[in-house]
Amino acid sequence: MKRNTEREELLRIPIQMKLQYRFPAGAHYERFFRELKKTGKIMGIKCPECERVLVPPRPVCGECFTRTGEWVEVGPKGTVVAHTSIYFPFIDGSTGKPRPIPYGAGLIQLDGAYSAINHILEEGDPDKLHIGMRVEAMLKEKREGNIGDILYFKTIEE
Amino acid sequence: MGKKVAIIGTGQTNHCSSREDVNEMELVYEAAAAALKDAEMTIAEIDAVVLANMELFEGRALHDMWCGEGAGAFMKHSFKISTGGTSGTSGAISGYYHAASGLFDRVMVVGFEKHSDGNTLAGMALTDPFWDRHVAAAAIGNFALSVSEYMADRGVTEEQSAKVAVKARRNACNNPHAHLQMPDLTVKKVLESPVLAYPVHRLEMCPQSDGACAIIFASEEIAKKRCPRPAWVRAAVTRHDHIYLGEVKNRLATMRSLKEAAKVAYETVGIKEPLKEFDVAEIYDPLTYAEIAWYEALGFCKDGEGGKLIDDGITQMDGELPVNPSGGVISTNPVGASGTIRVAEAALQIHGRGGRRQIPDVNLALATGYGVYCWSDVLILSSKPD
Repeated sequence: MKRNTEREELLRIPIQMKLQYRFPAGAHYERFFRELKKTGKIMGIKCPECERVLVPPRPVCGECFTRTGEWVEVGPKGTVVAHTSIYFPFIDGSTGKPRPIPYGAGLIQLDGAYSAINHILEEGDPDKLHIGMRVEAMLKEKREGNIGDILYFKTIEE
Repeated sequence: MGKKVAIIGTGQTNHCSSREDVNEMELVYEAAAAALKDAEMTIAEIDAVVLANMELFEGRALHDMWCGEGAGAFMKHSFKISTGGTSGTSGAISGYYHAASGLFDRVMVVGFEKHSDGNTLAGMALTDPFWDRHVAAAAIGNFALSVSEYMADRGVTEEQSAKVAVKARRNACNNPHAHLQMPDLTVKKVLESPVLAYPVHRLEMCPQSDGACAIIFASEEIAKKRCPRPAWVRAAVTRHDHIYLGEVKNRLATMRSLKEAAKVAYETVGIKEPLKEFDVAEIYDPLTYAEIAWYEALGFCKDGEGGKLIDDGITQMDGELPVNPSGGVISTNPVGASGTIRVAEAALQIHGRGGRRQIPDVNLALATGYGVYCWSDVLILSSKPD
């Protein structure tokens, strides 16, 4: 391993960039996010062949390669199928800034959906998180049409 | 069936957290030159070059253009492969396909990554902008979710996970190329390291490394002539699962892409009892829990018995099936090269050039790759062409 001990002699080019991107949502995501913004409903799409209800919604089922068709409302309640508590300030990819820690995160299987969605949990204490716990999506009042319209999933008693 | 192909040479850089003394092309050149030397070949003999790298970490476009000359790709047939963590194994599989097609006789594959040039966490944050970016917590948060499912389903313990970290970093001490060499690491020290995403501790995760690794594939006639003990590629299989994590149910426990790739590869070679039949395995272990889960997916034991394999020392250097004598990805992780290193290390064991990490009498070796959320590559190398 070559180690350069005289660090000041190494030439480096530091570059900091501000880049702008605009990602078109496409027909299926657009419908999902418009519905979430307008009515607060979470929608999945059903594969006519395997009958899985997919969130995120897509024009084609990955397993059957069949055109999906019927839109169905899922959630807003669901079940935690995987969880963690984050103690490291990872970058929030939607803002570019570190996310405040600690916080809970989970895969939440929304009632009526096959897929689980990856999102933030209200509960961040690992001792209080468990697989099978029931949660409900808490929505922003002023929604913008993105996944952040779901603020987090709140623990519920049933 | 493709034509018979063997690996006849490998070369690696010395991997570490920051190779400030070289730029990326120089890093690639070090590995390529080492592999040519190992195979006793000149660059003029190489017909095709495959480069493997995971984009975004270095924040540079067109690596293949800037690094290609370092791999000797000038005026040759050349490709770049980029499939996330599997880039390095997919690159190796591509190199094998090139030679097995009969269109090329000598193919060089170079996997490389220079994490210190850029920002790995920023690269990981540039995931899908609609569903993932708002919530994703890099590979660590992503794995921690799956670990909760795996622990609940299979009863694997924190201590068993920490034992994998200790095995890896101690094995790494025998490998002059390895990044994290920790002879004094203990289970206690692993579990006392900071929790990044519960229950995953810092020392249970792979590091970020700078490094490159090159492999030379040759057709049957050339391999027999040029290498005293060629490592014949007997199977090379790749499988991709769903891209959205929420659709891969109980990922670590089911790991159907790895199970399916292994099943096809084992059938091709006629392997029935992998634990007994393989002499060594170099598997892509992004974190400790994954190594235990892969033991199960690869059929080294029954489902739920992965933790027992590490408890019983079966996968230690002197065990029935040594897993990752190199120290594995947990010790060294230049992502685009990590898969290539698995294949190179498996080949090295058959060549008998493993130095202090050599397992005696290796005839059959397994190498795997893991990428994105649930993608798998499996290669089987043998001292015998058929």
